[in-house]
Amino acid sequence: MMVNARNSEASSGTARWLVGAVVVVALFALPFILSQLGRTGEYWIWVTTEMLIMALFAMSLNLILGYGGMVSFGHAAFFGVGAYTVALLMKKAGAPLVLALALAPVTAAIAAAVIGWFCVRLIGLYFAILTLAFGQLLYMVVFQWYTFTGGDDGIHGIPKPEILTPIAYYLLCLVLFLICFLVMRMIMNSSFGLTIRTIRENMERAKFIGVNVRRFQWYNFILAGAFAGLAGGLLCELNRFAQTEFLHWSKSAEPILASLVGGMYSLVGPAIGSAVLIFLKIIVQQAHPSLVETWAIFLGLILLVVVLFAPGGLVGLYQRLTGKSET
Amino acid sequence: MADHVLQIEKLSKSFEGSQVFNNISFAVDQGELSSIIGPNGAGKTTLFNLMTGYHVPDSGRVVFMGKDIAGRQPYDIVRLGIARAFQRTNIFPRMSVLENLVSTVITKNRGNLNVVTPSAKLKSAHERSYEILESVGLADVAHRQSGTLAHGNQKRLDIAVALALEPQLLLLDEPTAGMSPEERWQTVELVQQLWENLKITMLFIEHDMDIVFKISQKVRVLCYRTLLAEGTPEEISSNEQVIEAYLGEEV
Amino acid sequence: MSVQFYLFLLINGLSLGMLLFIIASGLTLVFGVLRVINFAHGSLYMIGAFLAYSLSLLMTGGSLFSFFVMLLVVPPLIAVIGFVLEYTLFRRIYRAEHLLQLLLTYALVLILDDLVRLVWGGDPRNVTRPEFLAGSVSFFGMALPTYNVFILCIGPAIALGLWLMLYRTRAGNLMRATVSYPDTLGALGVNVSWVMTSTFMLGCWLAGLGGVLMSSFANIDLAIGMEKIIECFAVVVIGGLGSVGGALLGSLIIGVGITWLPVLLASVGVQEASRWALVFPYAMMAVVLIVRPWGLFGKPER
Repeated sequence: MMVNARNSEASSGTARWLVGAVVVVALFALPFILSQLGRTGEYWIWVTTEMLIMALFAMSLNLILGYGGMVSFGHAAFFGVGAYTVALLMKKAGAPLVLALALAPVTAAIAAAVIGWFCVRLIGLYFAILTLAFGQLLYMVVFQWYTFTGGDDGIHGIPKPEILTPIAYYLLCLVLFLICFLVMRMIMNSSFGLTIRTIRENMERAKFIGVNVRRFQWYNFILAGAFAGLAGGLLCELNRFAQTEFLHWSKSAEPILASLVGGMYSLVGPAIGSAVLIFLKIIVQQAHPSLVETWAIFLGLILLVVVLFAPGGLVGLYQRLTGKSET
Repeated sequence: MADHVLQIEKLSKSFEGSQVFNNISFAVDQGELSSIIGPNGAGKTTLFNLMTGYHVPDSGRVVFMGKDIAGRQPYDIVRLGIARAFQRTNIFPRMSVLENLVSTVITKNRGNLNVVTPSAKLKSAHERSYEILESVGLADVAHRQSGTLAHGNQKRLDIAVALALEPQLLLLDEPTAGMSPEERWQTVELVQQLWENLKITMLFIEHDMDIVFKISQKVRVLCYRTLLAEGTPEEISSNEQVIEAYLGEEV
Repeated sequence: MSVQFYLFLLINGLSLGMLLFIIASGLTLVFGVLRVINFAHGSLYMIGAFLAYSLSLLMTGGSLFSFFVMLLVVPPLIAVIGFVLEYTLFRRIYRAEHLLQLLLTYALVLILDDLVRLVWGGDPRNVTRPEFLAGSVSFFGMALPTYNVFILCIGPAIALGLWLMLYRTRAGNLMRATVSYPDTLGALGVNVSWVMTSTFMLGCWLAGLGGVLMSSFANIDLAIGMEKIIECFAVVVIGGLGSVGGALLGSLIIGVGITWLPVLLASVGVQEASRWALVFPYAMMAVVLIVRPWGLFGKPER
């Protein structure tokens, strides 16, 4: 029986790799297909690039949300720090894109280390509120500090390297997304990831098997902040501006919604949820001009339905349909 | 003195003004299998909480292997060698039985910071986990989600998790609570067997007097905020104070 | 600057704080009994303010009569909306994880705020104060807006009313008991879900009342819901989640702080002082959570 279990595990593993490979190939081919469609195609290349970036942002949050069981309402702070790092380095210091993108996760991780150091002392609702307070504090600082951040005007006209065509930038984002995906997967499958899951499952018991819970929550918080910083940096270059909205708490809600819609207890769930939400938003807005203003109502209704009827999200639904249990 | 694993010295604790203990002292010998009894609310679990860092005593010392551990963090005390199993099952419910053990073994070996190797491929941790699961009779259900196990097996898993920490001192808080009479005696046998095989010090809390008197070498009675009596099962069962204060009610 | 000026600011700050208290006490009551932080509380308050505006258009502006009608009609209307929300949505999630509860209320924010925009549009509005509250009273040589003084009186009255209700009536006893022993109470035959529904309605009534009072206090627009819910969070965190007394103290701290800080900062030479002062609620919230997470009046959970 055990042998059977292992066999089916192995075959489902191969199947999963196969699906993954197909998806990756499709993602690489996508911009070349889209570019055949003229103006609409260009628009969709932009949209899919944004999807990749927001998917990375959602996955970064899910390290603490789904795997760690910590609800943060201030994750946009690190996204914003990453974005402003790229904006300031490129616009004001004339740094090359590669350097700016490499430093975005570093500054975001530093911000996460400072904020996280306080936040991991609290649990549950109190943790959530403190992350919100810190996130908004940072937002306010960026909002007020005209001389450095440009205040509510933001920073515009971030240089774009010549060779970076929309397709090239899409491919850059895709490669970075895949690398981050694999790194997150590796980390969450490792002993560290298992430790994070034990904390989520039962924080008290985790202490009594010798886990320094706060310390590991802190590490995980920093890790999530770093990935969010990279996502922020990438979006900044895509839009060629950084604005205070990137740090606002409504931005923090986006990856939470994506995680919920996609499914929190898997790595790809939040990425799927994020892409689905962006896609739906565009479809709704293009369906009729009057619907542009009402996207929030749609989003709210989707959210209500998910919370009440499918708290496991899309991945949870899929698992329920195929009869697989979550792990 | 050196053969005391644990010494409780003049320990006092109160919660919101009501005192749970006043000036309790006792010592646990190396390799002893002993028990703590007492009526409900006598503070037995609180005593375990004080020993394992869950609560901080108001005054007094908890000396384990020569070090005062009162007020230290739970994870710190675990590393020094005190492990506990809980009265209410306390496991990682949405993880498999095996994962419960593997994560504990990894933590015991201080390998939590490994971010590269998949935990599923850590061979020695898995072998060790299976070994422990076999010793408590849970190897068959290693791949089950632990939250779906029957209550008795969840309590066994809780004990297995504590064993995986290779403690010098194992604290068992009502290991047979909520079990059927049959399961109870199986668990008692398991505890005694583990104690004989592993040669560690065990201290358990128990309500069932038959069990207490059958397997403990020494019995301590907590009552009226103090340690009412301490001695062999024979001494305790003939101690008039104890009979009056505690056993008397039940007979 | 003169002492008088600071006193003037203090009184204005206190009246702002009282207004905040009326709204925040609703939030904290609902949290205390239902254990749910209702993000949508700010939206309900905003709906109250806009309903008051619409009602005022139907009647002679500035008459005492129309002001009383608003006070009598709007808060119960919001309570009815609250009843519908509680009955259809909230009671499904009392035992769910915090995250799902928060997200449900957040979904409501998204829906309600957009509905307000569809109905009333994005322009700022204001409601004419009734004549007898429109002027100012002189007090130690200062001209205090009568309306602020009025709110300064309403606030303590509400606080007293809540206290009497919570500690001197059977309904209040049930509410407080539900906080501590929801299961026991159910076993004793108390209809706990009815206690919860009533508390939620009371919380919404307070939000509606705050909305009506606010509509004559300052301009109202689509941003006031978000703005107030964050301020209420700060108030409730400072005072201790679920504590009405704490909410009173927290409201006064935030109200006075918001009014005083810009002046204080400007007097020491800070540029853009009024904008930096907006940081105050968040900073207070963070400090209290770090130093005393259970708030000034709350109790630690363990």
